[in-house]
Amino acid sequence: MTQVMTHEERTALRDSVRRLLADRCAEADVRRLMDTDTGHDAALWRALADLGVAGMLVGEAHGGSGLGPVELELVMEEIGAALSSAPMISTAIAAKLLDGDRARALAAGELIVAVAPLGAWDWTGQSAVRISNGRAQGVARFTPDGQIADLALLAGEDGVYAVERAAFTATPLPVFDRTRRLADLHIDGPVERICDGSRVAGALAVGLVALAGDQAGGARRVLDFTVEYARERRQFGRAIGSFQAIKHMAADLLLEAESATSAARHAAAQLAGDGADREVALALAGFACADAYVRCAKDGVQMHGGIAFTWEHPAHLYLRRARSGAQLFGDSRHWRERFIQALEARS
Amino acid sequence: MTDEELKAEVTAWLAANWRGAPPRTERFGRDPRAEWLAKVRDAGWAAPRWPAQWYGRGLSDAQARIVENCFAEAGAPGTGQDRSNLWANTALAHASETFKPQIVPKLLAGEVGMCLLYSEPGAGSDLAAIRTRADRVEGGWRVTGQKVWTSGAHIADYGMLIARTDWSAPKHKGISFFFMPMRQKGVDVRPLRQITDESHFNEVFIDDAFIPEENLLGNLGGGWGVLQTALAYERSVMGDAARGARSGAKEAHGDAALLELAREAGKLSDPVVRQDVAQVIAWRMLNSLNTRRAKAELGQGTSSSIMSLGKLAMSRILHEEGRVRTELLGPESLLQGPDHPRAEDANFLSLNAYFTSIGGGTDQIQRNIIGERVLDLPREPEVDRDVAFSTVIAGR
Repeated sequence: MTQVMTHEERTALRDSVRRLLADRCAEADVRRLMDTDTGHDAALWRALADLGVAGMLVGEAHGGSGLGPVELELVMEEIGAALSSAPMISTAIAAKLLDGDRARALAAGELIVAVAPLGAWDWTGQSAVRISNGRAQGVARFTPDGQIADLALLAGEDGVYAVERAAFTATPLPVFDRTRRLADLHIDGPVERICDGSRVAGALAVGLVALAGDQAGGARRVLDFTVEYARERRQFGRAIGSFQAIKHMAADLLLEAESATSAARHAAAQLAGDGADREVALALAGFACADAYVRCAKDGVQMHGGIAFTWEHPAHLYLRRARSGAQLFGDSRHWRERFIQALEARS
Repeated sequence: MTDEELKAEVTAWLAANWRGAPPRTERFGRDPRAEWLAKVRDAGWAAPRWPAQWYGRGLSDAQARIVENCFAEAGAPGTGQDRSNLWANTALAHASETFKPQIVPKLLAGEVGMCLLYSEPGAGSDLAAIRTRADRVEGGWRVTGQKVWTSGAHIADYGMLIARTDWSAPKHKGISFFFMPMRQKGVDVRPLRQITDESHFNEVFIDDAFIPEENLLGNLGGGWGVLQTALAYERSVMGDAARGARSGAKEAHGDAALLELAREAGKLSDPVVRQDVAQVIAWRMLNSLNTRRAKAELGQGTSSSIMSLGKLAMSRILHEEGRVRTELLGPESLLQGPDHPRAEDANFLSLNAYFTSIGGGTDQIQRNIIGERVLDLPREPEVDRDVAFSTVIAGR
């Protein structure tokens, strides 16, 4: 049974996540993690678990909060804004696939689960894994959070299979966006079929909503600090934000960022309510949020000028994150096609 | 009153009263549905968020939405005017205590035709540079000047007019806002032929026309502030809906219509077309999602930050949809006339898109407004801002 939060409760949840990330996931922390092998902050993940975030989608019977996509999306806006590498998208997807002790461990933040597709799914992960006679063999490529996973799930139309840590090795990939780590999972060993494939589409939808929230939050943050800079930075004796060349870009980016927020929240609400426009809303979020984030981050660099061409400036971290998100679960072209298919199905 | 009780009351009232009404084809002029609208007004449904004293019911935004939904389900017009009726909202917020009771009920029922007397040949984007003058006389004002881009002036009873009442004040501070009676000697309306070959706009030549004292809105010299309220409503309405087809039919540019056109043109299997069509429909959807979110934030007489984005969004949608429709039609788009309605629509849309991207303040002015008022970016220096207007024009 999904719990429904009041507006005040949601605001309180968002604020507590925001405070924690402001304290523990500042730019210096993000950069420190970028230089580590795993990119993972175990202490922060425990703190997020203590706040109930790790288990927010896990049912109360299994020690979670039993919340839904609307709350997840709000939390993800904060995670995206802070460039946190916390394995929240993977965890949200896994929460829809796991039961029992594993769900309990997931909610407690004690079990990190990487999810890879089996067969043709929307996401980037190109899996060439074969399952037969209770064994899996092959490589699940580009798997988010694979480098820190205690358990891998292979999710396909025929069913969902759990692969224990002993049955795979994870090769971290040299990723362009060091705040979102991917790994190739080399799997060779026994698997356990944990549920049929009926839950997979819903789980993927949750992942898509989580990513959309991350993108909306990131777009808004990069816009905010870009506008702040345009107010302060002076050239020709004036703040550069007083020039229409900069001001008009900022206005256009506000439209992008607000549209991303609307799309992400609408998709979350449709998914939560099982609304009639669910497929349309999910596909819309699938490209609108990615496109908006990429544009805000790109133009954000441009509006800063030379300072943002330096490694030390945070703008490129957002551009990297925007670019990685735009590929993670299928690119914008793919989701625009899915969108028009959903419209055709509706009409 | 609970939501259920309210819903029951509205539904019962509609069942007892709604028998259909003639369609409204023009945004300006007297409303052909006036009889029905008067009924809606008298029942308190026209502006349910307003206080009872002003024909409303003092409902919360959430409850007013219930009323709007009931009306929408029945297909009945007339409610939600506390959000959408530019004239009535402006009058309610700023008209004098003498004039308000005369005009507000008529505006809610569409019993008076209205037009906007803002722009002048020398004051477009720089609207505060108007030179139409209103001089104090016994019992009111005498007005002389020229206005342009006035929709519906030929069928209007009143014009919302900005005119200069103080030439020694800086340009924004010497302006006052009036409801000027249009049907009088001294007001000469001449139609303009537009880019679309239609004539919805007029030039208005004003020569010593009279405005009674009580028709001043807000304070003398405070017209710029009143104008901001009116403009916020106008922009929100423009962001909400724009005419996409010559017929004015809304169905002609719904999501389904563009898909249908692509199918008819035999191009719906073209992957490039599919991407283009998807993008236009997506922008339209995002705009209505933004608007929905903004409306939740919009209180009476204030503008929401997201609301200011609607016009920009709609400009992009219309210009791009014009392009996509034209591509779908190919050479057929070279034609016009009643035998080629698809070409008419595509070409009309392509040209009339400027109605949104120029009208009500160009998109470029709108970007300034968003940059300065929403994002708090500093203003561009204005050399004539704090100078007496008489000095400004002497230097030109």
